[in-house]
Amino acid sequence: MRSNSFGKQFAASALALAVSLGAHAVTDEDILNDQDTVDDIVSYGMGVQGQRFSPMKALNTDNVKFLQPAWAFSFGGEKQRGQESQPLIKDGVMYVTASYSRAYAVDARTGEEIWQYDARLPDGIMPCCDVVNRGGALYDDLFIFGTLDAKLVALNKDTGKVVWIKKVADYQAGYSMTAAPLIVKGKLITGVSGGEFGIVGKVEARDPKTGDLLWMRPTVEGHMGYVYKDGKEIENGISGGEAGKTWPGDMWKTGGAATWLGGTYDPDTDSLFFGTGNPAPWNSHLRPGDNLFSSSRVAIDPDDGSIKWHFQTTPNDGWDYDGVNELISFDYEENGKTVKAAATADRNGFFYVLNRENGEFIRGFPFVDKITWAEGLNDDGSPIYNTENGRPGNPADADGEKGETVVAFPAFLGGKNWMPMAYSQDTGLFYVPSNEWSMDIWNEPVNYKKGAAYLGAGFTIKPANDEFIGVLRAMDPKTGEEVWRYNNPAPLWGGVLATAGNLVFTGTPEGYLKAFDAKTGEELYKFNTGTGVVGTPVTWEMDGDQYVSIATGWGGAVPLWGGEVAKVVKDFNQGGTVWTFRLPSDRVASN
Amino acid sequence: MKTAFHTLMLLLLLAGSGLVQAQQARSLIPERTLDIVQDSGYLNVGMYRDFPPYSYEVDGEPKGVDADLGRLIAEGLGVEFRPYWITPDESLGDDLRNHIWKGHYLAKTRIADIMMRVPYDSTFKYMRDSTGEMINEQVVFFGPYQQERWQIAFDRDRLDGVETVAVFQYHPIGVEVDTLPATYLTSAFGGRLRNQVQHYRNVGEAFGAMEQGEIAGVMGMRAEIEYQLEAHADDGFTKAGNGFPGMSKQVWDVGLAVRHTHRALGYAIAAIVDRMVRSGEMAELYASHGLSYSRPGYYDDILGPEESEE
Repeated sequence: MRSNSFGKQFAASALALAVSLGAHAVTDEDILNDQDTVDDIVSYGMGVQGQRFSPMKALNTDNVKFLQPAWAFSFGGEKQRGQESQPLIKDGVMYVTASYSRAYAVDARTGEEIWQYDARLPDGIMPCCDVVNRGGALYDDLFIFGTLDAKLVALNKDTGKVVWIKKVADYQAGYSMTAAPLIVKGKLITGVSGGEFGIVGKVEARDPKTGDLLWMRPTVEGHMGYVYKDGKEIENGISGGEAGKTWPGDMWKTGGAATWLGGTYDPDTDSLFFGTGNPAPWNSHLRPGDNLFSSSRVAIDPDDGSIKWHFQTTPNDGWDYDGVNELISFDYEENGKTVKAAATADRNGFFYVLNRENGEFIRGFPFVDKITWAEGLNDDGSPIYNTENGRPGNPADADGEKGETVVAFPAFLGGKNWMPMAYSQDTGLFYVPSNEWSMDIWNEPVNYKKGAAYLGAGFTIKPANDEFIGVLRAMDPKTGEEVWRYNNPAPLWGGVLATAGNLVFTGTPEGYLKAFDAKTGEELYKFNTGTGVVGTPVTWEMDGDQYVSIATGWGGAVPLWGGEVAKVVKDFNQGGTVWTFRLPSDRVASN
Repeated sequence: MKTAFHTLMLLLLLAGSGLVQAQQARSLIPERTLDIVQDSGYLNVGMYRDFPPYSYEVDGEPKGVDADLGRLIAEGLGVEFRPYWITPDESLGDDLRNHIWKGHYLAKTRIADIMMRVPYDSTFKYMRDSTGEMINEQVVFFGPYQQERWQIAFDRDRLDGVETVAVFQYHPIGVEVDTLPATYLTSAFGGRLRNQVQHYRNVGEAFGAMEQGEIAGVMGMRAEIEYQLEAHADDGFTKAGNGFPGMSKQVWDVGLAVRHTHRALGYAIAAIVDRMVRSGEMAELYASHGLSYSRPGYYDDILGPEESEE
């Protein structure tokens, strides 16, 4: 806990006591039904499948213009930067995380703080990509979230007191945690973030009550997975069967494939879906082969961590396209049959529809205006590489000169990055927050690292158009058709929410929370929050009213890596506030 | 995830003119000019953490040839030596930004007065980005004090010698992950050595593996190799005399860096370092650590070619 004055502590605990009278434990059933229950939000993704679709209709295209701010809560302190968190709601309390590994419980009716927890980060910690946190998990009487120094922290959700803290990995070796944990079948499931220091990605399951490990699954071919019983580590098979099938030499030992964005779960097929990051080292010419399971989606058995299937979007990734973006389960009808599908919009610019029972490729299509690294997809979903000038050159061949510049669409920040898309069960469309940008890549033979000569490459990101970078798109997963688009001047970096009121919500770096007609894309509502929005909106019902909340505060990867994009975003101010909106009850009838 | 080349791009971005000025206006970095350093009575000497034989700690005591040089510099300025440990980021540009001219975004007021073991290279110093902006204009590079180079050590029980690196088509060799030796050995000669390259977290771990008989050689910086040979004196390991054909950078000068607004501090320290190089004190310092010393190539134009020591 943050050190408070005695008076404030007393007030806080009295408030916590008052709230706890109405507070109940969060159960597996609550989490599995999250997408259907409107009075709580107890999972990242508003349902474990991650559809971010609310069945609520009170707020709709006719009355959204009457949506009004109810309260705003400041995260406080001198620490701001990017706020990428998705709030959770349970029994009239909002649970939300903030930059620098902070967590808060807030009275959802008034915006008053109930408790605050500030993780004590070590001096000299150097996370690679801003200091964001994307949210926590609720289970039983716990609120659990990951920290920048790669720990899991479980707090009593009613008091904010620490119940347990577990070190997941060594931050000094390059590991970190920014994703929201997932609760599946009484297990706490997490991935891990990491830079390029020779880490290996993994997915882990723990006992949420104690933090004790239950199983561990590495996401690079050749590494042994384990289950843990009675404190004993039991071998549970090597990922991919054996080492060296898709990697040269011993590079699988330091292969990357970080699971930094967490995962989703599909109860129908009883599968966890985790995306994996790019392979290491960054120079793809050094590691000929597919480099499994980097830049892939991996389906994992939640009981023991076995890999059921994988689908690789960018084999031998040489563009840092990663493969971490969320895989969202959805069903659709075709020829009178229900297809159990799952969809993902990859950093590499392609939208993939897979059979979620076996990982087979159903169809794929570009969701950005221009892709240059590949000419298209083969029948199995693998890329048809542009062998002419699609892949950055090998810096080892540069021979003292600045190498030729390769222009690649999309840029490494991706056609879509971490920000989650939404799927509307009503329209059957995916609402994809995407960006139109390219990167120049050239070899940089004169570089140094830790006192030694080094070979690097230079990068610059460039907007693809003068007028806009961000595009919110409605994509039809059955046809690949872009049904509508909204162009935004700055890159979109926040998540999306769809509702049965025919609405789509998202935030913009310019500071607006916006709502669109889900069928037509017409902009129906905007509210200026005073700082850039890179958080993910949620909606819920309380005391008969429909509410919308979003964390605001400009930051994330764009201002860190933006290249020429910096010109567009350099004047946006930082912040740190969660805004909550309500539709006044006398406006509900106006539909 | 971030990769090494993004780091450079970040540097390009931050060095872009408009943004740099905006950042400077908000800078929280304490001013530490020569006068202020001398009045304060101490010098924060930036050195890489856990990096023998250059800079490392034993029981809280800074050790290594860079730490000793830092002590001598502080002594020359008449102030106390204070170690400032640097966790290396993915490239020199990151380290300079985080510890010399801007501060890391998590600890903006934590900054080193000077940084040791900064390569002194006019090409790097004047490097420009695609828009023509100087990338490193916030930094002054000065005081080259040593020339570093690559070196292979091998296990005499396993190899008769290393006439050329071709021998490592047939025998495993260890390198530190994500370094130029790792890139060189996995890409040179069409990748023919690639499958024999074993990656370790650092040169020390690679020597541990050679001691276990897992590999026949290790490639790293000469001083690192010499330090490990000393530590493994009874294991039958020795230095190889091979060349590195096709390798982009075989030798480079190493010096110091200060923030560009602290030039006078740089001048004062450059005078100390220059005197040590010319008088032979620098060579003695290296010898006292059991390390070979090569004078920086910078001095070849001034003093004439260095006599070969090997």
